[in-house]
Amino acid sequence: MRGEELKGHLDAMLLAALEGGPRHGYAVIEALRQSTGGKLDLPTGTIYPALRRLEQAGLITGSWSVVAGRRRRDYELTPAGRQALSGRRADWRDFSAMVTAALEGNPWPSPA
Amino acid sequence: MAQPRLITGYLSALSAQLPAPVVAELADGLGETHQHYLRQGLDPDAAARAAVAEFGEPSLVIAGFAAVSPARRAARRLMCTGPLVGACWAAALITGRAWAWPVQPAVVLLAGVVLLASIGLIVSAVAGPGYRSVVRAGLAGCAGVTALDAFLVSAVLLADPAIGWITSLALAASLTRLVFSARCLRWCLADAAFSLR
Repeated sequence: MRGEELKGHLDAMLLAALEGGPRHGYAVIEALRQSTGGKLDLPTGTIYPALRRLEQAGLITGSWSVVAGRRRRDYELTPAGRQALSGRRADWRDFSAMVTAALEGNPWPSPA
Repeated sequence: MAQPRLITGYLSALSAQLPAPVVAELADGLGETHQHYLRQGLDPDAAARAAVAEFGEPSLVIAGFAAVSPARRAARRLMCTGPLVGACWAAALITGRAWAWPVQPAVVLLAGVVLLASIGLIVSAVAGPGYRSVVRAGLAGCAGVTALDAFLVSAVLLADPAIGWITSLALAASLTRLVFSARCLRWCLADAAFSLR
């Protein structure tokens, strides 16, 4: 998936990648790749500014550690981040159900 | 293990613009990406090429951090509120016949220069791609606007004792912006504190 198509959804995806517990930047990217079946196609370096933006917004918090002689920054969700993720999930479900219904010509919600 | 020259060169390009903790975090990520390709069986140089390609151009990463810097956020807000505050002051100075105030022409000229420089710096902080240049321009633009607001407020209070409602509005706009500028400065200092960690 191209970066342009991800605009507006990347933050929610990053929050979701941190839902299971603290991760460092590269682990977040790996988690996103795994959860999207490798379809995520973004320059890895652009994920870090997005994490910084989420930290500034108070949705995640970062802490430093040293691993194999390298400084590493681990991130985890804050309570505000969990709440934001929950809200964005609900919004996405509604949005995707609506678009699916419109594109596939099915009534919304689709009959069971 | 020594890092391939391609990776050290990439990190040097980032170091020229980004704060040390940000570069340390990116170095960790790039190192992990390199290890990932080594585990896939690539030789060190090929793994370095793959890791650097996956990370994206340094300019792209730097622009990403510039976009989320507090200095840019502050500059954006100053840019949005500037025309409104400026319009309030234009109306206040015209209706208050500011040209008759006992203010030295050199001071007026200096205020004009500070205004133009601040606008230029704020535009540069909003649109510039470099991280350091955005931080410098944002801070300087913020300082310029603060000095200008302080000058206008004191000039009016000293030179125009009969303050009408238009001047009161302009004063309120400038005082609000002074409070906001102090907040911007706090964001930028918090960012600088992060950069020093």
